[in-house]
Amino acid sequence: MALSLTVNGDRVASTADPAAPLVDILREELHLTGAKPVCREGFCGACMVLIDGKPTPSCLTPAALADGCEIQTVEGLATPGQLNRIQAALDASDAVQCGMCFPGMVVSLTHLLTASPDATREDIRAALTGNICRCTGYERIIDATLLALATK
Amino acid sequence: MIPGSPMQRVPAAAHNAASSIHVAHSLANALDALSEWGSAGAVFAGGTWIMRSPIRHEPLREHYVAIGRIAELGAVRIGTDVVEIGPVVTHAALAAALADLPEFNVLAAAAGRSANPAIRAMATIGGNLATPGFAAADCVPALLCLDAEIEVAGREGRERMKLEHFLQIRSTLAPGRLVTQIVVPRSERKTAHARLPLRKAGDYPVAIVSFSVSVDAAGRVQAARIAVGSVEPVARRWERLEAALIGRQLDAEGAARTATELAEEFVGRDGVDAPAWYRVSVLPSLVRRAAAAALGA
Ligand SMILES: Cc1cc2nc3c(=O)[nH]c(=O)nc-3n(C[C@H](O)[C@H](O)[C@H](O)COP(=O)(O)OP(=O)(O)OC[C@H]3O[C@@H](n4cnc5c(N)ncnc54)[C@H](O)[C@@H]3O)c2cc1C
Ligand code: FES
Ligand code: FES
Repeated sequence: MALSLTVNGDRVASTADPAAPLVDILREELHLTGAKPVCREGFCGACMVLIDGKPTPSCLTPAALADGCEIQTVEGLATPGQLNRIQAALDASDAVQCGMCFPGMVVSLTHLLTASPDATREDIRAALTGNICRCTGYERIIDATLLALATK
Repeated sequence: MIPGSPMQRVPAAAHNAASSIHVAHSLANALDALSEWGSAGAVFAGGTWIMRSPIRHEPLREHYVAIGRIAELGAVRIGTDVVEIGPVVTHAALAAALADLPEFNVLAAAAGRSANPAIRAMATIGGNLATPGFAAADCVPALLCLDAEIEVAGREGRERMKLEHFLQIRSTLAPGRLVTQIVVPRSERKTAHARLPLRKAGDYPVAIVSFSVSVDAAGRVQAARIAVGSVEPVARRWERLEAALIGRQLDAEGAARTATELAEEFVGRDGVDAPAWYRVSVLPSLVRRAAAAALGA
């Protein structure tokens, strides 16, 4: 049975198996390669997407439960030609290194900016428990988030 | 699990093996679907354990019945004598619901600090209790120390049992039966949950001590329930430590000393995250932390 998803505003159909992880549909059927299946275990956050507005690891979401949902990937967070607030702040703070974790970071932090506009450094750290970065030591990412929070 | 490692390529056949996931919208409908599939079917709750089956080299079931959207299984009811928790209440929702009830600090901390925020918003309390292969489950020791009872239902009826008993039978739960409620008695007690992940947060706990005591006006322990998780394959109560604390003034250092004397009764489990001996060796420190937190509550 075909599944119907809304991905970055577009209605798309998929015939994926019901337990196929959403990340594979995004990457292999829709060629949205921002979300990355790094651990496939829910630990690293590299596959994070927003499902009905909530940050969710797409490696643990089966196709059947994404059916009918609104999905936003990192590709759909900015309006064309303009970075969103956290993307701009990460860029301005020179926070990106290898970039492997960044699609997930941007998704989690985009949500944090609206869900917790008063977040402190500690709140940001706690919110990133499920977004692992091998390169940066996190500090610049947190600085960038504070900058984005300050630029309302 | 290791960030920065090459992307996990799981063979399509391994993770796409389920041929159906039925999204149930009522308990009656879920029970019908489960009974139709029999041993080929299983409950799908948050999916945070099931979706990792390929990594554990375990086959998926052929059919799943998704229960996460069943409203009647998703409520927390706070009564005067008991708190009733629906099995699909997520860790995040449970921690939020119990935030203002100090007697449930142990459970709020277990649910609110496990895993990471996105997982806490998916993983359910029922899934936490019903996963025999998951030794590090946080809510199991927390609910053992709160003397929880579990309701299990099938099409033919419901039964209630102590969590201890449920832990013994959960791996052989008949097809078509599922956890439908968790019932936790209310009482005046001081509780705390001490867990030791290797990093400050995000990892599985190497060991867990869940702690619940009632003290009299003079600060002496009248009743104690202490449970240990993640050290052995299944969480259990530490009855010798409980007995040793009864009648004594509760102090964290003293409790930790007694725990050191009694810790040899545990046979730790070896794992990639920690060797068996290490899990046992951290127990006295966790008892100290839990007792101090409970006293402070
Ligand atoms: C990266 C990561 C880290 C985690 N760390 C922790 C941690 O430190 N501590 C912790 O406690 N949890 C942790 N978890 C969450 C853990 O996976 C869940 O707590 C739980 O074990 C599974 O819950 P679930 O709802 O996702 O169950 P599912 O994956 O849907 O199901 C798990 C099993 O339970 C059965 N089941 C589910 N609900 C019921 C029911 N109502 N009745 C009968 N059987 C049922 C299913 O059939 C299946 O066999 C972590 C998860 C991830 C992904
Ligand atoms: S790939 Fe999904 S959390 Fe790591
Ligand atoms: S920038 Fe390399 S993993 Fe985060």
